[in-house]
Amino acid sequence: MSAATRKEQIFGFWGSVAELFRIALRAIMGSKMRSFLTTLGIIIGVLAVVAVVSILQGVFQSFLGQFEALGANTLFIRPNYEMFSDRREGVRRLKLTYDDAQAVAQQVPDVRAIAPMLFRSDSIAFRSRHDTTTIVGTTEAYGPISDVNMETGRFLGPMDVDSRRKVCVIGHDILDKLALSDQCVGTEIQIGRDTYTVIGVVEKLGGAFGESDDDRIYVPLTSAIQQYGNDAANQLILLVQVRDAAHMDSAVERISNVLRRQHGLKFGQTDDFRTFTQEEVLKQIKTFTNVSTLIVAAIVGITLVVGGIGIMNIMLVSVTERTREIGIRMAVGAKRIHVLYQFLIESVTLSTLGGVIGLGAGWGVSLLTVWILRKTVSPTFPPAYVPLWVVLLSLGFAALTGAVFGVYPAVKASRLDPIEALRYE
Amino acid sequence: MTASGDTLIEARDLVKDYPMGESVYHALRGVSLTVRRGEFIAIMGPSGSGKSTLLHLIGCLDTPTSGEYVLAGSPVHTLAPDQLAELRNKEIGFVFQTFFLLPRANAVENVELPLIYAKIPPAQRHHMAMEALEFLGLQTHAAHRPNQLSGGQRQQIAIARALVNKPSLILADEPTGNLDSKTSENIMGLLVRLNQMGNTLILVTHEPDIAAYAPRQVRIRDGLIVSDELVGTPGKGGGS
Repeated sequence: MSAATRKEQIFGFWGSVAELFRIALRAIMGSKMRSFLTTLGIIIGVLAVVAVVSILQGVFQSFLGQFEALGANTLFIRPNYEMFSDRREGVRRLKLTYDDAQAVAQQVPDVRAIAPMLFRSDSIAFRSRHDTTTIVGTTEAYGPISDVNMETGRFLGPMDVDSRRKVCVIGHDILDKLALSDQCVGTEIQIGRDTYTVIGVVEKLGGAFGESDDDRIYVPLTSAIQQYGNDAANQLILLVQVRDAAHMDSAVERISNVLRRQHGLKFGQTDDFRTFTQEEVLKQIKTFTNVSTLIVAAIVGITLVVGGIGIMNIMLVSVTERTREIGIRMAVGAKRIHVLYQFLIESVTLSTLGGVIGLGAGWGVSLLTVWILRKTVSPTFPPAYVPLWVVLLSLGFAALTGAVFGVYPAVKASRLDPIEALRYE
Repeated sequence: MTASGDTLIEARDLVKDYPMGESVYHALRGVSLTVRRGEFIAIMGPSGSGKSTLLHLIGCLDTPTSGEYVLAGSPVHTLAPDQLAELRNKEIGFVFQTFFLLPRANAVENVELPLIYAKIPPAQRHHMAMEALEFLGLQTHAAHRPNQLSGGQRQQIAIARALVNKPSLILADEPTGNLDSKTSENIMGLLVRLNQMGNTLILVTHEPDIAAYAPRQVRIRDGLIVSDELVGTPGKGGGS
């Protein structure tokens, strides 16, 4: 074959593709219900993937946002409950106390500030309204470390902590929970069995799952210890801010040494506490993200194979049904490659259309799911998020499925003998 | 259009065998035929005579087991399937007994079909197809689908499709087999007119009164040509 005719064939190729695409669309639209059922496997596959991924991605994005807001210069420390198979034993045997926090603050110059935190879930009440929330006993250091912005009033001060004042700073969700007005500073509310005076309201933050930082009440650590007792006081979480994020590793090492000494650990004994830096947490989240992406990819693979088999099945039926048509096309001059591409393009178009429908439906399902979760589980559930790669990946795989599973029927069509095809009843 | 006298078809000793299990069925046993441009030929014969096989060979839908067949200068007996497709597209217009129109496409789209594979751009294609329909007086039916048309109209659409690529040869296989006698007359009149305009026509039929429209009649039986004669008939074409 000469170079000129070869070039002409390639030149005519895209024109033919546009032509065959029109033919494919007509065939698909000619029997809409059947086309829809054929591609249903692809639709459901893409739908499931987009719905799951968009919700997961929304949660991850929200997580990442939170931990990035925490800042690269902060870390937190909690007792190493993983040392014991039973968490209750860990709680009984392990300690992380206000004294530890003070020791770290005094002995590690890298530490700019340290905020001990006592977490407790408790009932709250105002007039006839009752609810539960997370009580955080902490010190004035928490405000600057966590970059707390006040909507009204002020955050906890050193005087509040030193003199065990019964005052509290409430998160934004508490306003709704207790039906408090915007000017609630000075109002007295019940926390557990004690009465506290509201001194400030924190600006709305948003957050992941039910773990919203808006659904919290901050009280002086000393008051919380008085109310919840020594057991609670021994199970603190320390939020630490270092002076320079670049020296995070050496800071972590020095803090660990101080804590080991505080706890009287001998050489060779494991730390009875664990430190978490932003970097580590982000790494963990990303590992989790990667694992879930892999799982999703596996689901995509399976569903698309199932969807592809559906497409192949119907394309084979279609080739048989349209044997006469193939014969006519061949008689008037269609080459094998024309027939092959006609059916291949038809199956790719079919599966890609399924992918598009699946994308739209999946997005709809994830919006609906988030809406339901917000009504039932948590009002602050993060919005669904569809990254571009998910869109491209689903459509790409849908098209690929159509191509792979369309090859056999298309080849079968192109191999037909024109005379036999014309005779076919 | 070339002057009559040019050779369009040169077939020599065409043999076509079909394997039938252990044995071989000899559909054609050595057929030689010469057709000049502008001729109108009827190939006649009972079923099983080999006339369909001959039609398939002449129509480049198949290649002979042995023998030589040259159509418009192309040695058909040496060509591969895709080259045959190209030759059918350029040189041959088919008219079939059962019309063979695409049911989902309308009239003008059916007529356009050969032009798609000739890689003619859409606008020009549409124009050419409409011209062919106008020639047959069917332009008002361009948007109709085959099932909205009568049998005669369908066959006219098929004829328009056969004409649209300006082929060297129009092959009609029992073109009136599915039509009533009145419509058959119209279709045959149309074919005669096409021949008078210079088109080369080969008509395959088993009906003598349809074959009678052609000035040259070739009879075939048991895979061999038994007679090839010129007869004076109403449809005087460009024969000899």
